[in-house]
Amino acid sequence: MKFVVSSSVLLKQLSTVNGVITNNPIVPILENFLFQLEHSQLTVTASDLQTVMITTLEVESQDTGAIAVPARLLLDTLRGLPDQPITFKVDTETFGTEIITENGRYKLSGENPIDFPKVPQVSKSLSVEIGADILGSAIANTIFAVSSDDLRPAMTGVYVQLNSQYTNFVATDGHRLIRYRRSDIQSEQESSMIIPRKALNLLKSSLPSDDTVVTADFSSSNAFFSFNNIKMICRLIDERFPDYENAIPQNNPNVLTINRQELLGSLKRISIYSNKTTHQIRLKLGHNDLVISAEDLDYSNEANEKLMCDYEGEPMEIGFNAKFLIEMLNNLSSNMISIEMSAPNRAGLIIPAETKENENILMLVMPVMLNSYA
Amino acid sequence: MDAFFASVEQRDNPSLKGKPVAVGGSSERGVVAAASYEARKYGVRSAMSSKIAAQKCPNLIFVKPRFESYRAVSYQIREIFAEYTPLIEPLSLDEAYLDVTNNLKEMASATQIAIEIKEKIKKQTQLTASAGVSYNKFLAKIASDFNKPDGLYIIKPNQGPLFVETLEIDRFHGIGKVTAQKMHKMGIFTGKDLREYDESFLIKQFGKIGRYYYQIARGIDTRAVNPERIRKSVGSENTFMQNLEARAEIQLGLEPLIEDVWRYCIKHEIFGRTVSLKVKYSDFQIVTRSRTTLSPIFDLPLFERISYELLDQIMPPCKGIRLLGISLSNLTNEQDMEGKQLTLEF
Repeated sequence: MKFVVSSSVLLKQLSTVNGVITNNPIVPILENFLFQLEHSQLTVTASDLQTVMITTLEVESQDTGAIAVPARLLLDTLRGLPDQPITFKVDTETFGTEIITENGRYKLSGENPIDFPKVPQVSKSLSVEIGADILGSAIANTIFAVSSDDLRPAMTGVYVQLNSQYTNFVATDGHRLIRYRRSDIQSEQESSMIIPRKALNLLKSSLPSDDTVVTADFSSSNAFFSFNNIKMICRLIDERFPDYENAIPQNNPNVLTINRQELLGSLKRISIYSNKTTHQIRLKLGHNDLVISAEDLDYSNEANEKLMCDYEGEPMEIGFNAKFLIEMLNNLSSNMISIEMSAPNRAGLIIPAETKENENILMLVMPVMLNSYA
Repeated sequence: MDAFFASVEQRDNPSLKGKPVAVGGSSERGVVAAASYEARKYGVRSAMSSKIAAQKCPNLIFVKPRFESYRAVSYQIREIFAEYTPLIEPLSLDEAYLDVTNNLKEMASATQIAIEIKEKIKKQTQLTASAGVSYNKFLAKIASDFNKPDGLYIIKPNQGPLFVETLEIDRFHGIGKVTAQKMHKMGIFTGKDLREYDESFLIKQFGKIGRYYYQIARGIDTRAVNPERIRKSVGSENTFMQNLEARAEIQLGLEPLIEDVWRYCIKHEIFGRTVSLKVKYSDFQIVTRSRTTLSPIFDLPLFERISYELLDQIMPPCKGIRLLGISLSNLTNEQDMEGKQLTLEF
């Protein structure tokens, strides 16, 4: 089996799917790319058993056949090569693979492609089409709040709820929660699933930023995404997502409306002076002014700033983890935002004042308890 | 205090003197909170259902509890205790441990202190109290039960182990009905029997408390008198006039209990992480359901939601519900929470 391919084209395609491969896979064969050649069509598969990514590219060849090639070795080789046509020669008996370039020859020992795990076939019970830019933004807006706590597996992915009016993308780590709603993704058939973080991260980095159509098919156990020459299959998280609607507080009479950039800038400065482990900052809300302060008792550091704002409600003091607030505010694009609160021990809601078409964002963050005598 | 609630009633209403009195609801579904010694002769006991109590003692006079009066007496006796020592650990309204090792009156004899306190109580409240004097809490408690009413019993250090040896384990403070039954099955009936077992065996059989059993069997108890014994749970329960069966009426019965508990928590600024629901069925079978949250429960809607979710777990009820109780435990007060990141409760 023999084929010729541009080194840079191959490198680009391999880099896209390489993110699937883990350092210490459960089965050693998963350290390899699976190459399947069908004349001028080369299909490359990478898998970690949970997530599979497949890409296809054009090569010059008359042959058909398959080989599993060590991913790390091949990628390192390609990265070091100037752009040029390179030739792969595979001995399908011994799985020895030879790469011939203008610079020289490189021999890799491949593995039997038969050993590569079978890829689940698309068996759809639900199918939706989403613009790549929309899906990308849904992922970007939620993934940072996904939990990394394996003890609560349901929260280690983004919960997707489809219905005939809109689709919710929900992420939470137990301290904050993001609900990103799109009214331009709909499905007559109501359905919900939890897509694992790894798959979404991989999707995010491989999705084009234009309106390329992504086809998403869902079965009861897997999600299948395909766009351009890329396919991704991932196993869904088979858990019950927390009943998050109940956690969204309904009556929040204290509303702070403020310029997002000003608040963000202030938070970044003040947080430098906050405790290094809790990142606790204090918001003191009075009639149309906001004082943000922090202190780190270990180093006797402290800072405070006064900001102009619009505040309606009872004067109150509430503590938050500055890192959470900064991350959440960074993910918004609205000029003005409002923070709706009820009490210093109940969740605050961050809502952008201006929203893009078809988009609705709700962010929820739990406070840090303050010492009320300070 | 001897037959505390009942004695207060007899004191305040002379027509009750010398008569069998039960404090508690007289309705068919009421419960006896306290029985006078006259009533006890007929076998009336506290926590007994009023119906059974009335059967055992047809002349029994039921009196509605007046907690304000009991609290007033409780305050009076604590004032007397405080003359002697700041180390007072109240067990209930009418019972407390006192550490008089270094007492304020510099009296050498604990027995003398007990006699004085008993006299002062009688003079100031016209009520009798029983006291137990010993070298640790376990023995003092047992001694106080030994010579009721108006009793005084002393267990001296050299008598302790011997005293425990002959004592039935059912009378051990800290060994309840269930544990006692389990011990009976193992052939343990007295302190002497209990002493036969080594510590690791008792820990294996009974858990952590096994160590305590091992020690008390030898008359050893190292627990200090703790004047700041903190409340471990806040709860409220109610026995209903009629058995509840429908979900709606059960929830209606639970509502005021939740509010009761919540009012207490708000007033005292304590908040719990564990919600426990207790259900007693018409056949007196008791089941409990509980759930623990990651952060203390700071708002009523969440407390209600968890309570009703616990209720859902036993729905539909297999038989009529006689009693419902709700409690919060794993308590923290607001100050302990400083700097804590709160968690969303799902």
